[in-house]
Amino acid sequence: MKHENKVDRGSFTRTVKRIWKYLSVHKGLLSGVLLMVVMSSALGLLGPYIIGHTIDTHLAVKSTDGLGWILTGLGAVYLLHSVSLWLQNYWMIGIAQETVYTMRTQLFAKLHWLPIRFFDKRQYGELMSRVTNDIENVSSTLNSSVIQIFSSILTLIGTLSVMLWLSPLLTVITMIIVPLMFVGMKWITSRTGRLYKEQQKNLGDLNGFIEETISGQKIIKTFSQEQKVISEFLVKSENLKQAGYWAQVYTGFIPKLMNMLNNLSFTIVAAAGGIFALNGMVSIGTIVIFTEYARQFTRPLNDLSNQFNTLLSAVAGADRVFDILDEQEEASDEKQAIELSMVKGEVEFDEVSFSYDGDEDTVQHISFRASPGESVALVGPTGAGKSTIINLITRFYEPDKGRILIDGHESRSIKRESLRSHMAFVLQDSFLFEGTVRENIRYGRLDASDEEVEQAAIAANAYNFIKRMPDGFDTLLRQDGSGISQGQRQLLSISRAILADPSILILDEATSSIDTITELKIQEGLKRLMKGRTSFIIAHRLNTIQQSDQILVIESGRIIEKGSHDELLRKKGFYHGLYQNQFKRHAARAL
Amino acid sequence: MKVFSFLKSYRMAMGVALALMLVELAVELGQPLLMAKIIDEGIAQNDFQTVVHLGVIMLGISLLAFISGITNSFFAAYASQNFGFDIRKSLFTKVQAFSFANFNKFPASSLITRMTNDVNQLQMTLFMSLRIALRAPLLVIGGITLAIMVNVKLALAFLIVIPFLIFFLIWIMKRSSKLFFMVQQRLDRVNGVMRENLAGIRLIRAFSRGTYEAGRFKDANQELMDRTAHALRVTETAIPVLLFFMNLAVLAVLWFGNMDIHSGKVTVGEVVAIVNYSARITAAFSMFSWIIMVLSRAIASSKRIEEILDADADIAEGRHKLAESKKAGAKVEFKNVSFHYPDTNTEVLKGINFNAAPGETVALLGATGSGKSSLFQLIPRLYDPSEGTVEIDGVDIRSLEFDHLRRQIGYVPQEALLFTGSIMENLAWGKEDATLDEMKSAAHDAQIHDTIERLPARYEAMLGQKGINLSGGQKQRLSIARALVKKPRILLLDDSTSALDLKTEARLLEALKTYNCTTLIITQKISTAKEADKILLLEDGSIIASGDHEHLMATSGLYRDILQSQLGIEQSG
Repeated sequence: MKHENKVDRGSFTRTVKRIWKYLSVHKGLLSGVLLMVVMSSALGLLGPYIIGHTIDTHLAVKSTDGLGWILTGLGAVYLLHSVSLWLQNYWMIGIAQETVYTMRTQLFAKLHWLPIRFFDKRQYGELMSRVTNDIENVSSTLNSSVIQIFSSILTLIGTLSVMLWLSPLLTVITMIIVPLMFVGMKWITSRTGRLYKEQQKNLGDLNGFIEETISGQKIIKTFSQEQKVISEFLVKSENLKQAGYWAQVYTGFIPKLMNMLNNLSFTIVAAAGGIFALNGMVSIGTIVIFTEYARQFTRPLNDLSNQFNTLLSAVAGADRVFDILDEQEEASDEKQAIELSMVKGEVEFDEVSFSYDGDEDTVQHISFRASPGESVALVGPTGAGKSTIINLITRFYEPDKGRILIDGHESRSIKRESLRSHMAFVLQDSFLFEGTVRENIRYGRLDASDEEVEQAAIAANAYNFIKRMPDGFDTLLRQDGSGISQGQRQLLSISRAILADPSILILDEATSSIDTITELKIQEGLKRLMKGRTSFIIAHRLNTIQQSDQILVIESGRIIEKGSHDELLRKKGFYHGLYQNQFKRHAARAL
Repeated sequence: MKVFSFLKSYRMAMGVALALMLVELAVELGQPLLMAKIIDEGIAQNDFQTVVHLGVIMLGISLLAFISGITNSFFAAYASQNFGFDIRKSLFTKVQAFSFANFNKFPASSLITRMTNDVNQLQMTLFMSLRIALRAPLLVIGGITLAIMVNVKLALAFLIVIPFLIFFLIWIMKRSSKLFFMVQQRLDRVNGVMRENLAGIRLIRAFSRGTYEAGRFKDANQELMDRTAHALRVTETAIPVLLFFMNLAVLAVLWFGNMDIHSGKVTVGEVVAIVNYSARITAAFSMFSWIIMVLSRAIASSKRIEEILDADADIAEGRHKLAESKKAGAKVEFKNVSFHYPDTNTEVLKGINFNAAPGETVALLGATGSGKSSLFQLIPRLYDPSEGTVEIDGVDIRSLEFDHLRRQIGYVPQEALLFTGSIMENLAWGKEDATLDEMKSAAHDAQIHDTIERLPARYEAMLGQKGINLSGGQKQRLSIARALVKKPRILLLDDSTSALDLKTEARLLEALKTYNCTTLIITQKISTAKEADKILLLEDGSIIASGDHEHLMATSGLYRDILQSQLGIEQSG
């Protein structure tokens, strides 16, 4: 338990330091804020002082001489006071928001550097919670706490000096409560710190659950599982409530404890002061003033303890952000990694093995070579490892063993961006972004002209259905993809790949949801597209692949047959069986 | 506001919390008097006895305040956490009842923000209100009352300024609640870009668009920052302005006080007293800045929450159930059904008529975008037809309870969507009380049993979000198994075998026959369609031909064309 606390405190200071690093970028403005805090505190004290003085010199003696001037001066003091308050807040809000802006940007940018593996096991909503809810914690703390901490420390130093000057003895007595305070605060914050973390974690879980249930509405509804997800939701919501409840309860203790200790300190000072006064050690006047200062001394201490607690909640949020920022990135490109300005499209696999979980190899000892411009088809039962091979070419994952060579360069030695810029993909699930049809196609090549976009759509046989949409190419697609069929999405994905104009083309079940007549129509387009490019095709319909220069038959992660359509048929092996099966089904039964 | 109704259940807890807060406040107000007494009667008189005596009393009542404060904490936390819990619950329940038209109106990212972030804002506000918010107005009122009691004429300065300031505060609050409303919208947007990027991460990587996406995010993020800063800055102007005017009032008190002292209408002591009260009123007002911010955020958030609670789920549930039927399959009939998606005008289905007898298999064939999937979605009432009726066993499905209707149906959508959890948990979606044997047999029929058995944890194996560690075909088969566990009377297969190789598909279709359910199957393959009792050929939302394979071969040119397109294989081979 003790050990745990230590670790916690270590991470607390580390996190606070790290937040400070973000803040310290704005050193200039921060000093401005500090200056304004000093100024507003000073002016805040000066005002009452002038009033007191005015009462003594004017009101008490019934003099009006220069009262107008004094009041004008006082007005000016108050104006400056307000201005300095306003300025410190204005600047601080700027700093705080810039800070969380940077954190958000970094978090987002980080996502694009994490290996695909990272996303395999994460709930989207849980990650989203970090960008919104967790950063929100940091934001609200920064907005108020920095100023408060500044001004509390300032007041603390001020009153402490006055107190020491007045009576060191009584000061020491006043300080009796400080250790008590520390004990109390430690007791409370060791709990709130843990609870805040738990709260943010539970909030993230809940967020993840909500996201998933919204994405999966179709299934929830058709399986009428609403009650089930609601009760699961309630369990998660209850967890959040529990953590939140105790966090609030303990947080609520802080001002009460401080208040109690203040009163204790006042009584002690009064009692001790009484004894000292009896002995003539201090004057009564000193005690009177001192009790007042003792009260002033504890107020900033109060504030500081509250702020410390708020800081814990910021740390709970920031920790979750930093967790992601500290995630191991996709192995960065080697230092000598090269950029390829031109790719001929030679792809070679040399004894490549790979496993997703480090346990069982999904593909093993894969070797083949595709010459520039060749088309390679991957065939085999589901789960055989076809998409995995594609994933390795695209470097979503890196092989565990063996090498992949592109134009003779080991693919690891090529910059990922550069490598991918020579490839275009139509992936199994055709993802569309929220935006217009045109924007979605243009994703393939951002500088493409409208005409090029339309040409690509024509080649993919998507032009006709796009033209029939309410706003044609400017029709807005929703993120959930409603109003557009799966097959049409694939046509758009193909247009996108056509537009990209790559050296290496990858089609993973690119036409699986497209009807066969349309497919025939785009075959022409695809054939033209594939000309002069190295292409990899996964398809179940054998007619889409029999023209390929090379067919790799894959089963259980291994290449079991290799060759052209005719060669494989002559071999009378696995492919022959597949082909016979399809052939029979089509020919014998259809005709 | 509607969210207030959620407070009802916690009136007791809130009452106790407020009462305890008043106790605390009373003690707090009494304390200075006691302190003064200790100083005046104890210390000043050198009476140690009195100091100790009064000191004990003071410690006693501050202990009372301490206990009230601590107890208040429990009640306030109880009320606010449960308040938040209840709102979350109604929001989530409401969203589960949303139709897809509702979902189109509220993007997922926004729904998520509303259920977490917005609820948190409200919850925070309630907790703070129960603990301190009332204190500020009470202190202001108390201060003014005392000032008036001392001298009405001088207190007039405050009576003039304060109403003015209250208006000012209300104005600021109105403005900033609007601004915070926009802040939350920008937060939705940030959330949205983030979600899209997570979902599309592979595509983004594939096209090396990380930088481009970062730019898009930057815009959303920048707007969020600007809006937040703006809203906060508006609320933060309140205090400096407020302080300034309160201080001006003090100047007035001094000025007029001085004149009245001359004329003997007021004593110096009274002026000092009023100046002191003004200091307290000002201090109390400072708390308002914080209250304003919290309240305006809460107003903005409660609006967003109410938008959801008030949304009309435009698909209403019926109340009836079907008569018990011994048949394993149900009769499905479409009568003159037309359909367009909400908020659009294009009809995707036009005058659809067909029926599937119990146990029959009906195949739907047609070009991409011809309306096949849309037709499927009408059967479990994901959408309602804009015209015509869909009937099951002769009953209009709109008169049926959702749960009852959907229990008849096993739906396998095009994209296999699985949930975080074990394989077993995913299969149990079909039937909560399914035994392992039932699941195994469904998995067996869906041709996925062997694959599962090969996993280290078998049926306990965990699936990540969207079951990503399985191949596309494996996910499809798992989602078929999920539908089969249900032993549905109507099975809807939406091109669910596209990622399966032909052998596996044939075995699957063979196994399905033993279920005897009415099966509607969308397919691209004539070989699959041919096995069906009836084939519907769709084009542009209409059925242009129907009948069995032979019939269509004889009558439909399009059907022959489709067949032709699939025979390319043997002509060249």
